[in-house]
Amino acid sequence: MSYVDAGYATGLSVLFLYAVGLVIRRRSLERAVELSSPPSDSAERETGAASGP
Amino acid sequence: MSDRALAHPSAPRPPWLRILGAAALVSIAATVWLGLWVTPPDRVQGNLVRLVYLHPPIAWVALYLAFGLAALSSLLYLWRRTRSLFWDRLAAASVEVGVVFNALTLATGMLWGRPTWGVWWTWDARLTSTALLLVLFLGYLALRRVPADPEVRARRCAVAALVAFVDVPIVHFSVIWWQTLHQGATVLNSNLSPTIHGSMAWTLLLGFVALTLVFVWMVGVRYRIEVLADRTGAERLEVSLAERWAEGDLDIAPSAGNGPGNGADGTSLRPPSRVGP
Repeated sequence: MSYVDAGYATGLSVLFLYAVGLVIRRRSLERAVELSSPPSDSAERETGAASGP
Repeated sequence: MSDRALAHPSAPRPPWLRILGAAALVSIAATVWLGLWVTPPDRVQGNLVRLVYLHPPIAWVALYLAFGLAALSSLLYLWRRTRSLFWDRLAAASVEVGVVFNALTLATGMLWGRPTWGVWWTWDARLTSTALLLVLFLGYLALRRVPADPEVRARRCAVAALVAFVDVPIVHFSVIWWQTLHQGATVLNSNLSPTIHGSMAWTLLLGFVALTLVFVWMVGVRYRIEVLADRTGAERLEVSLAERWAEGDLDIAPSAGNGPGNGADGTSLRPPSRVGP
C-alpha cells in the first residue's frame, strides 16, 4: 500500500466511523429520552402545547 | 426551534441536515475520484501530491472552522447580552468534531511527510503547534466531563476554549515567523496568487467544499446529541432526587415544573431549607 492510499484510507475511514458513531449516539439518546418522557409530555405534543420557547 | 423541541425524540430532524449529509457524501466521493484517478501526478512530488487534496482541507476544517466556531460561540456565551446554553453546546459540538479533524491533520501530514522529508515526525514549529492545539482542545473535552452545574461548566469551558484558541494564529503564522520544514501557504499566500493550476486547483477547491459540508453535518448531529444528553442527564438527576426525597434523605423539594431559568432543560432545584442547626 502506498502512502497516498494509506492517507486516503485513514482519513476517510476515521471520518466514516466517527459519523456512524454520531448517528448511533443520537439514536440511543433519542430512545432514552422517549423512554423517560412522562405521558403528559406526549399529550402536550399532540396538542402542540410544547412548541414554545 | 427551542432546545426542548429539538430534544424531543419525535421532533423532526431538520431536512437541511439530510440534504447536507447527502451533499457531503457526493462531494467527498467526487474529490476522491478526481484526486486519485483524474488529476495528473505533480512534476516534483509525483503521486504524493494526491494527499494535498485531503490534508489542507482537513486542516482548514480543524483550525479555522471548528476551533474558530468554538471560540466565537464561547465569546458569545461569555458576553452577557447573548448568553445562552445554545452557544455552549455549539462550542462543545464544534470542539469535538475539530479534535477529530485535528488528529487527522497530523495523521495525513505524517503520511505525506515520511516519503517527502524522510521522517514521520519532526519538532518543526507548524507540527509542534498543531500537536499542542490537539492537546489543548483534548483538555477542553476533559474539562466538560468534570461534574458541575451547567452554567458553571459552560463558563469554565468558554474560557478554556478562548485560551486554547490563542494557539490557532500561532499555527497559522508559524511558517512565516520561524524557519520551518513545512511549506508555506499555496492558495492563501501573502500575494493572494495561488501557485497551483488547472485540474489540481479545482480538485483542491472541491476538497475544501466537501470537508466543510462534512463538518457542518457533523456539528449539526453533534449539537442534537448535546441537547439530548443534557436532557437525559437532567431527567436522571430529577428522578434520583425525587427518590431520595421520598425516602426522606434530602431537604430538597422535587421539581414542580420546567420553567425558564432552571437547570439544563428544565431541571428545577429549590435551595435546601434546613430547619434548626
